[in-house]
Amino acid sequence: MTPPNTLMDKLALKLREDADKIEVRISDELDHRIEASLRAAAPAKPARPAPRARPPWFWLASALTGATAAIAVLAIVNLSGVDEPAVPAPTIVAADPMPLLDLDTEAVTLTAPLQQELEDLQSDLKKAEEKVRREIGL
Amino acid sequence: MAVELQLIDAAKAGSVEAFTELVSAYRERLLRFLVTRCASLADAEDALQDTLIAAYRYLHSYDPRWRFSTWLYRIAIRNAGKLHAPELVDVNEARDLRDEENDPLAHCIAASESENLWVAARRVLSDDVFAAMWLRYAEDMSVNDISKTLDRSVSWTKVNLMRGRRSLESQLNDAAEHAYG
Repeated sequence: MTPPNTLMDKLALKLREDADKIEVRISDELDHRIEASLRAAAPAKPARPAPRARPPWFWLASALTGATAAIAVLAIVNLSGVDEPAVPAPTIVAADPMPLLDLDTEAVTLTAPLQQELEDLQSDLKKAEEKVRREIGL
Repeated sequence: MAVELQLIDAAKAGSVEAFTELVSAYRERLLRFLVTRCASLADAEDALQDTLIAAYRYLHSYDPRWRFSTWLYRIAIRNAGKLHAPELVDVNEARDLRDEENDPLAHCIAASESENLWVAARRVLSDDVFAAMWLRYAEDMSVNDISKTLDRSVSWTKVNLMRGRRSLESQLNDAAEHAYG
């Protein structure tokens, strides 16, 4: 019996020989076709490189930079010696004050049922309204 | 190797002549391999053409840590696969299309007393195992390069090379027994 190693070498040799027995030839027509296709095809441009991954401490460095910048801005604004002119406080001038109405008001004590109280209050309100109208001359 | 890198640089810059020189040593080898995977010689030639054009167009993506041949074979396998992609033709259907009359491999093999072992290999091995065996024994590729070319793990490659060898060993033994009675 043939030892396995020898058989394996024999197999490899046979495969090699049989591969060499497969005869192929690039025909002139195929050669021309390939060359024409190559001349028609332009090399593709490399894609833009992907952005590099940021290190895990990047957010910390970024936050510290931001905070430092904010502190610096605040310091510059507060320590600068420029005194802004004081803006006078706006004064409110009342124009043609409305005459104050003398309204007689009194606390109402709810004693009757609610519907009755409501009607009394509406009646009082109507009277007060008429009185106001009379006073302002309408 | 240095010459190859110079040619690659020139081809990247758009020199068709440099690219043609670069692939001149691989064209026939690639066609021989494609003949074993395609349904007809015309398909194999189309796949070779597509492979070379794709290699030229995307040469910028070639990583010099790989062997150039490994990269080329990887593209070739993808292009041969496209010819019987599932959405076009079923793999088994593609095998059926490769009948005796049109089989490009049968056409390219000189008449011999014994059956070419690659014909038997194609009959008994799956496409990927066949490709692994071809790259190992016809192209002398290392296991690492084969796994890169086929996009498989090194362990898958080792195991399937071993299985492929066992299958072909028995084919070889059967042929020997048949020949000597």
